[in-house]
Amino acid sequence: MSTETPKREIDHEEFDPKGTLALILIYFVILSILWVFMYFIEFLGNDLTVIG
Amino acid sequence: MSESLESGAPSFLDQFPAEAKLVRATLWSSFTALILGGLFGIIQTLHRTDILRVMDSSYYYTVLTAHGVLMVVSFTIFFLVGVFTWGVVRSLDRPLVDMRYSWTWYGLMVLGTLMAVVAVLGGFVDTTEMSADVLFTFYAPLQAHPLFYGGLAIFLIGSWLAGADWFRAWYAWKREHPDERIPLQTFMALTTMLMWYIASIGITIAVVVFLLPWSLGLFDEVNALLTRTLFWFWGHPVVYFWLMPAYMLWYTVLPKLAGGRLFSDPLARVVFVLFLLLSTPVGIHHQYVDPGIAEGFKFIAMTNTMFLLLPSLLTAFTVVASMEYGARRRGGTGLFGWLRALPWARPAFTGMALAGLMFAAGGFSGMINAGMNINYLVHNTLWVPGHFHLTVGTAVGLTFMAATYWLWPQLTNKPLFSRPIGLLQVVMWFVGMALMSNAMHVSGLFGVPRRTAEPQYEGFDFTPAFGTMNEFDMQIAVGGTLLFLSLGLFIGNVVLTSLGSKQSGLGDSLPPALSGPSDSPVVLDNLKLWLGIALVLVVLAYSLPLVSIISRGGLFGPGVGTYPVIIDTFSAVVESVATTGIIETLAQFEVGVIVQ
Repeated sequence: MSTETPKREIDHEEFDPKGTLALILIYFVILSILWVFMYFIEFLGNDLTVIG
Repeated sequence: MSESLESGAPSFLDQFPAEAKLVRATLWSSFTALILGGLFGIIQTLHRTDILRVMDSSYYYTVLTAHGVLMVVSFTIFFLVGVFTWGVVRSLDRPLVDMRYSWTWYGLMVLGTLMAVVAVLGGFVDTTEMSADVLFTFYAPLQAHPLFYGGLAIFLIGSWLAGADWFRAWYAWKREHPDERIPLQTFMALTTMLMWYIASIGITIAVVVFLLPWSLGLFDEVNALLTRTLFWFWGHPVVYFWLMPAYMLWYTVLPKLAGGRLFSDPLARVVFVLFLLLSTPVGIHHQYVDPGIAEGFKFIAMTNTMFLLLPSLLTAFTVVASMEYGARRRGGTGLFGWLRALPWARPAFTGMALAGLMFAAGGFSGMINAGMNINYLVHNTLWVPGHFHLTVGTAVGLTFMAATYWLWPQLTNKPLFSRPIGLLQVVMWFVGMALMSNAMHVSGLFGVPRRTAEPQYEGFDFTPAFGTMNEFDMQIAVGGTLLFLSLGLFIGNVVLTSLGSKQSGLGDSLPPALSGPSDSPVVLDNLKLWLGIALVLVVLAYSLPLVSIISRGGLFGPGVGTYPVIIDTFSAVVESVATTGIIETLAQFEVGVIVQ
């Protein structure tokens, strides 16, 4: 495997994973929307699944 | 075009030839199971969607069992023992203690697999009584031939001895390095094996004490609920057993492929400790609809399960941050622009990244499965196979295949046959799984059952809120076909690589973490402490439910006999005129209830 030379060196203190934070926030937004969607499927789309 | 360009560094094969040979053998076993498992997969996909039925539906459960056992026991665990052997030897930088011992555990695992697979395939041969159509979830009352249970037991013993091998190597290393932290890959393998030993308590009791003697005819009945509970005691942690080698590769290899290094060694250690603690006391969440287990115990299992999301979310952060670090070193900029700087042309990277993306989607459907109330909506529907094809079928399976493109040249000193084919293969797997799994999830929401040869019913139609059942079936069939083709490309690439000529200098080193082990508390390496806490949690979660199950039904069950699937008997009953009348009445009644 070739060893790549980095275009720039970044040390631990310098690196701030803002892009990661943005992606994870998007994931949480998607999860929240899907949860709301599930509410409609479970409770408004059908009768109650478990009776008695 | 070669994936592996010469770096001048010695490969794993150059450094540890005996261990490399063992790892190659385990991976070949894994890939053999993958081919066979894939073949049974495409047969059942086309069968249940009614595209192509090459066999009688009475063989469906034989096919389903073979697909399940080969994929989630043989393919995954053979790959695990290979990659853990590689990781332990590489990170300790010392050979295994005794190769004869190592080949013994490998031999036991092969023997166990052969016994179990022969028992399962016996289901195709009408002239023999032997069959094991019990599915991967092999609890009572379905009963298999004793050869199946015997094979499983030997396979398990082999996996335990493999774990002991890595502990021996670590002890030997510790004597030479008394004050050093456990190297990360070895730490991951050891914590995973501790989890496996705890999980194995359940399945060992189920197989050795109940299922094997029962199938040998030593007693007539078992407590079905007890064997189910013991199965799931093992059956949930086993999913993390599949996942942990993928996590090891995400944490230690993926950052390197992205052009960077692991963001945080301490976070990785915390994640593996959390999996050791939390993987086992959650198994009852597979039994939300089982009568005979109090709702309170199920609620506790649900709470524990939600805690289990924490290590996966920590992983999402650490692994993505490591990729971002690599991308920024490669010149990537912007809030999202760095994604373009990642090495998408490399199949090993792209496959693992796409596998991680699928795991994020699987995380959502897993949360649905884990919620007690919403689980009732999807339980035993096609949603559930949709979920685990995202997790074990892609997060694990695709990671293993992608990692092979990076690892195989270092085990063989042969450069990858084709990088473009590798890239096509991983993308094809992603697309195929997106189609198949999406349609499975949606079908499940509308009540389509899992584990059914012919889910097309006379006088009853599923009524999806959007799309049609035909569309979903086509998605499943097209997706399954793409997966099968992708699998063929993978195997072809590996075989052609193996037939190639050797080169020197294919080794690739893994850089140390950005935040190294010295930044993490020493207590994280105290394996005895975490093992002790994990055992206490298991006792807390399982003692009361088990006492309750045994006190109500007894150790040997409240009158549950064997249920090998006997189609002839069932058909004879259905054909009798009087009974048919009753069944029709019942069917109409049931359809009426469902429609209402």
